[in-house]
Amino acid sequence: MKESRLMLVQYATAVAAVALVSVHLIMQGVIYPYATAISFNNILSVYRNGFYAIFLEALLVVVLVHGFNGVRIILNEFRQTKPWETWVDLGTVLAIVVTVAYGTRTVILAVFGGASG
Amino acid sequence: MSVGGEKAKNRRGIHGWLNPYHYNAERWAYFFQRVTGVAILLYVLGHLGDTSFFVGGPTGTGPSPSAWAFIGSIFENSFGHLILILVVLVLFFHGVNGVRLILAEFGVILGKPSAIEYPYKPKGLSYGQKVLIYVAIAIAVAAAVWAFLVLFEGLG
Repeated sequence: MKESRLMLVQYATAVAAVALVSVHLIMQGVIYPYATAISFNNILSVYRNGFYAIFLEALLVVVLVHGFNGVRIILNEFRQTKPWETWVDLGTVLAIVVTVAYGTRTVILAVFGGASG
Repeated sequence: MSVGGEKAKNRRGIHGWLNPYHYNAERWAYFFQRVTGVAILLYVLGHLGDTSFFVGGPTGTGPSPSAWAFIGSIFENSFGHLILILVVLVLFFHGVNGVRLILAEFGVILGKPSAIEYPYKPKGLSYGQKVLIYVAIAIAVAAAVWAFLVLFEGLG
């Protein structure tokens, strides 16, 4: 993908992240007291509310794409050789895939998994 | 400066970041945008790890009250809450300063071009951008105070 497109991805995910993270924080200390927000039963009910599960998955993808693309931009500021940029791009994609997969696993197990003690 | 010297200056890498000599407000904002970005990403990775304990951790198979209580016993204390307050501080700075950068990228708050004059000091960007940097700092501090009240005083 062209660098200009990747910068647009960075800005689009930034705007989305501001909105999604704001809602996430409001859920943790404004709508509910913090102690209630992090209680097991409350989190379970949040995950099993379909809308909020999708919200958390969107938050996961947006924040990780923005974060790792940001690291890619920083690393490419340090050095501009073709092999370096190729390895940085590959590492970025790999990091996004692995971390989104791990976070998605948590969401799926929380939504569909049976109690495990 | 010779061509070689200029090239070396432009390839200072992380040493260039960490040397605050001749920094103005915009350069400090650039520095902190990157430092806070990396810090937030590290926190997010840790948060991915700790939230996975809601389903029993890396080998879990579903919601697990005991694993969640275990991870809570590690992070839900004064030290963990201080870390969260720091995260809120850098998160809000990064977010508001990031909005400033996006506005600048699309030309919304850029200053007018002017002639280059001796002694060639960096003139910085527009007044609006400088104000937004200070607004980012103020909002970040206010958010950190809010986080302190939520975490230590039970506000919410």
